[in-house]
Amino acid sequence: MNKKTLATLVGSLLGAAVLASPAHAQNVKIGLLGGISGPIAAMAPSMLDASRLAIAQVNEQGGILNGGKLDVVVGDSACNPQNATDAATKAVNIDRVIATVGPHCSGAVLAAANSVTVPAGVLMVTPSGTSPEITKINDKDLVYRTVPSDDYQGRALARTLKARGIDKVAVAYLNNDYGKGLAESFKAEYEANGGTIAGYSGHEDGKASYRSDLAQLARGGADTLVIFDYGDGTGLTILRQALENNFFKTFIGADGMKSEAVIRSLGEQNLGGFFASAPVGEASASLDAFRAAFSAAGGNPDAIFTTTSYDAAFLVALAIEKAGGDKAKLAESLRAVASAPGEPIMAGEWAKAKQLIAEGKDIDYKGAAGDHEFDAAGDVPGNYAFFKVSGSTYEAIADMK
Amino acid sequence: MDLLGLANYAVFMAILIGIYALLALGLNIQWGFTGLFNAGIAGFFAIGAYTSAILTSLPAAHRLGGFELPMVLGWVAAMLVAAAIAWPIGKICLRFRSDYLAIATIGIAEIIRLVIRTEGWLTGGVRGITGIPRPFGELPYMQSQLAFLAIVVVLVLLAYMLVERQVNAPWGRMMRAIRDNENAAAAMGKRVADRRLQAFVFGSALMGLAGALFVHFNRSITPEAIDPMIATFLIWIMLILGGSGNNRGAILGAAAIWIIWSVSELLTDRLPTEVAIQAKYARVFIIGLTLQLVLRFRPEGIVPERQAGAASSRR
Repeated sequence: MNKKTLATLVGSLLGAAVLASPAHAQNVKIGLLGGISGPIAAMAPSMLDASRLAIAQVNEQGGILNGGKLDVVVGDSACNPQNATDAATKAVNIDRVIATVGPHCSGAVLAAANSVTVPAGVLMVTPSGTSPEITKINDKDLVYRTVPSDDYQGRALARTLKARGIDKVAVAYLNNDYGKGLAESFKAEYEANGGTIAGYSGHEDGKASYRSDLAQLARGGADTLVIFDYGDGTGLTILRQALENNFFKTFIGADGMKSEAVIRSLGEQNLGGFFASAPVGEASASLDAFRAAFSAAGGNPDAIFTTTSYDAAFLVALAIEKAGGDKAKLAESLRAVASAPGEPIMAGEWAKAKQLIAEGKDIDYKGAAGDHEFDAAGDVPGNYAFFKVSGSTYEAIADMK
Repeated sequence: MDLLGLANYAVFMAILIGIYALLALGLNIQWGFTGLFNAGIAGFFAIGAYTSAILTSLPAAHRLGGFELPMVLGWVAAMLVAAAIAWPIGKICLRFRSDYLAIATIGIAEIIRLVIRTEGWLTGGVRGITGIPRPFGELPYMQSQLAFLAIVVVLVLLAYMLVERQVNAPWGRMMRAIRDNENAAAAMGKRVADRRLQAFVFGSALMGLAGALFVHFNRSITPEAIDPMIATFLIWIMLILGGSGNNRGAILGAAAIWIIWSVSELLTDRLPTEVAIQAKYARVFIIGLTLQLVLRFRPEGIVPERQAGAASSRR
């Protein structure tokens, strides 16, 4: 331990006194709450690294406010409400963070927001809580997310199919929160738009044969099958068996099915009738900037939720800068820096953003994962495209509305 | 770190300790006094949580519920439903001896968890239930936390006194007799099966109450909360560390384990971030190590069970 670490230690012990005084070069602390232990332990490190990349960029490019550092405290929310509320309580009360990035899992977000951060008036931006229930939190405008709710993709896909003249489908979904969430929102929107669901059933993971499920679904008379599953798992088995037995002519998947494993295993020539929807990053220059920076920092930019984790941390930093470190103005500032109109800011452009904010100009962050125009509930709509198989990969053929 | 923040954190910790203390007291009735190895605590915790959530939450289109009943009614119902579900389970499973009972209860807790995950019309499925009221929830942060703590403290004290009274009564001596020598107790004319069932149902009802308090505290519940690690095995560790067969030990164990778990993160957070993240995994190890050390050097727990003679002469 060197003197600097000791100083940090002493500094953090006396942190409140320092934070309270409006000294120059004031540090600001945010909490990174993630599922470090628990069911998503394999995913969480990359997500935290991506968030920490954003914070490192802020500190390298002039720091926050009057040259202060953006400090982080990392809390283990362990993907369950018990540990999430514990981690959030410590971050809010002991470390006095003014905002949190995370928790990661939906149940953890619901509990931590409802019982800790919202009552304490602390801003929360989750990079990976996809449950539609998060939309409904009575949040005093303090809970946001950089990942679209599961509801959106299902609904967008339903409208797209109707618009393409497909009026009757059967739906097979994997019985977990991903598959079921998509299937339910798809069904509601499709039927509301006058479509017919001729078969609708959930299946369990990892069985050898789904022929009886498929035969049951085909009995409804639809020639299009919508599969909400994973293309490198059960979804592939279903697709193969449906093709082999000629149960359906057209197959539609969501982002989980848009896997190159499907093309490798089944062959392009057999997949003329296979289409998939998937989220697309709108500002691709921003995504490229993130990918380059994250690769250079030793991270894997293809790991799931890294783009949303990066954006969540970067947006929080922008909001703090815009609000001048005032906790009460954070939510308002977050909306201001994330929404049009304004000078576009790409991933990593902290110095430029800082200067524009200092000049009093409006900015609009175009993130690595998308544009992040928050709606009234703090959700992002997400941008989706409709893909077909082309060669050994997928090609976008239409935007989805 | 200022005093107000520390106080807020202490209040939060006390609330969770209280909830875990109720679970440990419930387990103490089953294991400590009666010798029933219940490894399905999470199941009864979940039943209590979801029962109260369904009865008191705001209406929602996709699931049962939205009765908006008063919270106290939800808590009573949580205990009753947990007891009602424990009864047939006990009726079937309590004929098993210790290890087999443990396996059966793990299975039952898993069935309950899967039913909650998949029966969306009832429980909201994987989305869980939100819009659950919290007593004094409209107060500012600190006051609301304090009010909730007061409720938890009152309920834990009440449960403690009731359990304490019961185990010091002849009923308690009979239960210990059954635990220590079932054949002798049966030979004395005690109806062993009925008594064991009683203990199982009482204990489960307390676990249900803990579940109900937990959902109202968080205003939400999802299946992630009933993970066996955090809702079954942690409670076992608490009871063994505190001293099974002693109610004060159960409460003390709940406090000790939760404090070790929570405060150790504060200490590791003083390390540089890179190391601090690694250190989070060590917390799980610390809990395991604590259990090993207790079992090796003090298997009776911090506060061991009082001897029967001492217990009666005290009162």
